[in-house]
Amino acid sequence: MIFEASQRTPLVELTSTSCLIRGECYPENISEWSDPVLQELENCLSGDEQEFKVEIELYYFNSSSAKFLFDFFEFLEESASGGKAISVDWRYRAEDDTMQEAGEDFEEDMTACSYKLVVVESEEED
Amino acid sequence: MLTNIETKDTVALHTFMQGRRTLFCYSGPLTEDLLTTISNPVRHQLSDKETEEAVAKRVFGVFIEQAQNIIRYSYQKTQVTGDSIGTVAISIAEDGFLIEAVNIVDPEKKDGLEASLIELTVKDQKELRSLYKQRLRDGPPEDSSGAGLGFIEMARRVKKFEFDFIESENGALFVYRAWVS
Repeated sequence: MIFEASQRTPLVELTSTSCLIRGECYPENISEWSDPVLQELENCLSGDEQEFKVEIELYYFNSSSAKFLFDFFEFLEESASGGKAISVDWRYRAEDDTMQEAGEDFEEDMTACSYKLVVVESEEED
Repeated sequence: MLTNIETKDTVALHTFMQGRRTLFCYSGPLTEDLLTTISNPVRHQLSDKETEEAVAKRVFGVFIEQAQNIIRYSYQKTQVTGDSIGTVAISIAEDGFLIEAVNIVDPEKKDGLEASLIELTVKDQKELRSLYKQRLRDGPPEDSSGAGLGFIEMARRVKKFEFDFIESENGALFVYRAWVS
């Protein structure tokens, strides 16, 4: 399933084996946007597939959206504890210390998932 | 509408803003729709200057948190639509940017807010980080009068911040100023 990006919400692409989140996240009302995303994530994780790959590349998120990411990672951890092999790539640009720190904040709580911080090359984007 | 504002006041407003090197200022009813509309121009203003991308992003982040604080917590509302009233501004400061916000505060929340902001001013980066993570796990404080995630997030991103409560005819004004460099 695809949740298209908007000015204040990221693109989310979910399949039974993968999840991609890319863009910016500071919606008017975080739960209005994130509830369907988390619901769909739960559906995708409930399948029989052994592996699940997550790629997150955010350029900015506000403090309300941090709570969504926290819940999102909790879902992944639960599922990984249940036996699914889950890998998470937290992608950030080399000069983006805010997103690097955010990635490190979440890293500490990830034990069952394999979690990696990945530096990406800057590209023209707006 | 007839007003008693004279030309010299208009000029004074211009001169004042220019003198303070204000890039962006909004004062009045603030809504999420309006914030969506002004987000890109504000960002454009920031990237227009010879500013590192990382700094511009921190300024933008602090600006969004301040604007959303006004939208959610300003005690002064428009009469018909109930929109929150406040002021946000971004100005060039000595070695970076000054981001300011002013709004009337709920008298019942003032003391709690003041206490938790004082607590934030004495914490170092490491303590702010662990408080941030704790708040993320626990959710907002029970009485919801304390500093939420937004104030902790801002404290982590800024070089320094100051706040004050000033009595006005409409109630206590909450003044928050943060410097990013």
